[in-house]
Amino acid sequence: MIFENEFTLPGIAGQLCVITAFAGSLVSAVAYFISTQSKDETVQLSWKKFARLVYAIHAIAIAGIVGILYYIIHEHRFEYNYAWEHSNLQLPYKYLLACFWEGQEGSFLLWMWWNMVLGFVLMLRAGHKWEAPVLTIFMVVQAFLASMLLGIYFGDYKVGSTPFNLLRNVMVEAPIFQRADYLSFIKDGNGLNPLLQNYWMVIHPPILFLGFASTLVPFAYAMAALWKKNFTEWLKPVLPWSLFSGAVLGTGIMMGGAWAYESLTFGGYWAWDPVENASLVPWLILVAGIHTLLAFKKSGHSLRSTFLFFILTFVLVLYSTFLTRSGILGNSSVHAFTDLGMSGQLVFYLAALTIPAIILLAINWKKIPSPQTEEALASREFWIFIGAGILFISAFQIMLYTSIPVYNTIMEAFGFKNANLAPPVDPKSTYNAYQLPIGVLILILSSFALYLKFKKSDMKIFWRRMIFITVISSILATTIAWFGDLFFPTWFALLFASVFSITANLYYFIIVLSGKLRISGPALAHFGFGVFLIGVLLSSAKQHTISFNYRGIDFGQKMSEKDLHENQYMPRGSRENMGEYAVTYMGDSTSEPNHYYNVRFERIDSSTKQVIESFVLHPNAQINPKMGLIANPDTKHYLTHDIYTHVTTVPDKTDEDAQQVAADSFKEHIISKGDTIFTSNSFVILENIEKVEKSNRVNLEAGDLLVGAKLSIETMDGKKISAEPLYYIHNGVAEPIEERISELGLVFHLSKIIPDDSKVQIDVAEIKPEKDYIVMKAIVFPGINLVWLGVILTVSGFVVSLIRVFRRRNSISSIQVSVGEV
Amino acid sequence: MKKVHIVGLGMIAVAIGIIVSMASDYSTYETFTSEKVKAGRECQVVGTLVKEKPMEYDAAKDANYFSFYMKDKSGNESKVIFHGSKPQDFDRSESIVLTGKLNGDAFEANHILMKCPSKYKNDKLDINGYQEVSATKS
Repeated sequence: MIFENEFTLPGIAGQLCVITAFAGSLVSAVAYFISTQSKDETVQLSWKKFARLVYAIHAIAIAGIVGILYYIIHEHRFEYNYAWEHSNLQLPYKYLLACFWEGQEGSFLLWMWWNMVLGFVLMLRAGHKWEAPVLTIFMVVQAFLASMLLGIYFGDYKVGSTPFNLLRNVMVEAPIFQRADYLSFIKDGNGLNPLLQNYWMVIHPPILFLGFASTLVPFAYAMAALWKKNFTEWLKPVLPWSLFSGAVLGTGIMMGGAWAYESLTFGGYWAWDPVENASLVPWLILVAGIHTLLAFKKSGHSLRSTFLFFILTFVLVLYSTFLTRSGILGNSSVHAFTDLGMSGQLVFYLAALTIPAIILLAINWKKIPSPQTEEALASREFWIFIGAGILFISAFQIMLYTSIPVYNTIMEAFGFKNANLAPPVDPKSTYNAYQLPIGVLILILSSFALYLKFKKSDMKIFWRRMIFITVISSILATTIAWFGDLFFPTWFALLFASVFSITANLYYFIIVLSGKLRISGPALAHFGFGVFLIGVLLSSAKQHTISFNYRGIDFGQKMSEKDLHENQYMPRGSRENMGEYAVTYMGDSTSEPNHYYNVRFERIDSSTKQVIESFVLHPNAQINPKMGLIANPDTKHYLTHDIYTHVTTVPDKTDEDAQQVAADSFKEHIISKGDTIFTSNSFVILENIEKVEKSNRVNLEAGDLLVGAKLSIETMDGKKISAEPLYYIHNGVAEPIEERISELGLVFHLSKIIPDDSKVQIDVAEIKPEKDYIVMKAIVFPGINLVWLGVILTVSGFVVSLIRVFRRRNSISSIQVSVGEV
Repeated sequence: MKKVHIVGLGMIAVAIGIIVSMASDYSTYETFTSEKVKAGRECQVVGTLVKEKPMEYDAAKDANYFSFYMKDKSGNESKVIFHGSKPQDFDRSESIVLTGKLNGDAFEANHILMKCPSKYKNDKLDINGYQEVSATKS
């Protein structure tokens, strides 16, 4: 059958690109492999040249996949499943890119794209010795990723899932696809998840995936070093790469937190959700690796652990991908998981990269140089090693707990029936119980370790400074705890450790480094971490809900149950107390597809009862016919705290418009200006009759006439509402346009204009009044800005270090000095 | 013995400690009739909404009281009380994970996780006008 209007060419071209990308990565990997293994320099060079050429083809193919997929989404070619499933006609232009990563195929594509870009940079910068082995590893990984997009059957086994599937091939059973003209019925796509229609979602995934992709560089170098038995030289090029990766991945993770805080309604930036954990754990191990790398560079120690950490980082990225993409987490996460039936493939790749890496590391373990002398207790390298170990423990605990659903699958594979392990009932407090003490240890370590020198330190100066800093930070911490009521032991421990870290690193920056920003990357990053954890402490320990519902409930002795009433019922127009605010729900407004609920906050001075501050928040809900209601919070930002609100329940207004008013329920009133109509719950005054030039209820064309009757309605309890029914003449035909005041149940028609008597006929019908209310939640987050500031400072620390590495390299190479030390 | 080895052993000890303590931290997926639930312990129950039985939520009366009936995986039904507002589109949920404990006759949930595949992925093809066309043709 020939299907009408179907445009299959892009799909065919796209699929060709996928196959080319896959084949190209394989061929390039093999060519680089031969080049690496060859002893003869000319053979090496010619294979390398060939590998580069194939790489270029591979790169063009990836660009082709991206371009064609973009075209399909942009042109709304709904005959393609990807466009139909992830976009629709109303989707704003700026979110087109977000369609890419809503689907699994697009995420793999994004990852491949970054690998391809990073591969080019490596080709330019890695140098003759490293290019071939490092890119061999790169291209093997790239082949695995490309195969995820293949969507080709080998026997009965389907490898990958292509983004260029036609809708009719995905939904084979639907009878509509028996028709040649099926496309004329597919008017619109499924649309993008409203939660992803957010600017964070446009920038967060690319940065996060660049972070993930960049962890491949240290891994590939580590593997190449083990392969070529060149155990030390790889660290020089890896240092800037690992710093880059740490900065980008860290930024990506916290952007996810910012997105969650701004557009999700779980009330916070971090929930220890499996998806968040899966991205955090590789970062922790990566940071441990950066530290042991530095220790090795300066002291010769910790080389083996550096290998271990960089290999582990990438393995954990793969494992995280498996966790979040295989559907194995099922019941344990709020995130959406799409299982495309590729978990087998993911497990295979995980094993295919992890097992050789571990074997390679194990057989070379003894050959990796390690100094005979021990680290001194008073040396920086020793404490760096301890710190890396603590980071490892932190990552271990998070991964062990996040993997709980995996154990069920493993147990079932070994024949245990009904494995029913579930994640902890209260993940936040369980993870915090481990991570809080770890955080305290890291803060203390990251402060004093800088005061120790590599190899040997002068302990007299060290202790003098430590005592000084301890005294200062004790005073500061106690003061803060006094004002903030933070003497609860674990809180105080974290508070003291954060203040200690901030003080120590600031002192180090000013006194020891004499304020030279250029060399203060580590101090800046550690300082930022201290600021971050103070923010975490304040925003979680001092976070409080102000929207308590007292209506209709007698708490009596059960004040503890107050926690169960955090959602406040807000009838429209009623002023409710919330903390120091008087809060009024003023009504809603619609700007498709969003419904905004306008909530006025007024801060009342407790003694004078005067309003000293007033602002309106607009928590919104997107009522999407296909996806239901999706709430979005709105937040008032202050320097010291945020007030975060979101609606939890709203009345269903979908059938309100459908409520037809029978013609005979209207009462006619012929009145002139100033006259009053009485209804059962209000009186209505005709204030004016006037020509209307512009209205959002009518699309005015030239020659049309629009007249409005301005009505002022006063209810029994003295509330004033205005209304304006319209009289519309279009092509000589008159038509009344009703005005409906739902909360009073009044419908007005301006049905006749009698110019001679300057009177009008207004018909009024009374229907059942609609209750207008929202149920909302409001939370105060103190110190949240410290969280963001801390993240920015920490990432800046990475960047400062990165710039320093480049500067030194450039100055060294420009004066032609052999590079001994980075 | 080197210091590094002592540190390594210490870390292994801590790691074993974490594994052991996980035994007390993990929870289990239970049914309404399992021993653990009957004993009033806090645990998680997976099931589906019983659409025939009433759902009770009146925001004006109590915005933080929502009750419904759920059928667990073995087919046992129980009333569930949730102290919070009714999640939007609860009727459309495909599966529900409750965290909480049994209190008298009803299961008191303090956390509801609902999986609503339609929210993220519409498996059904929704086509405007197709029904009418096929109706007139036949």
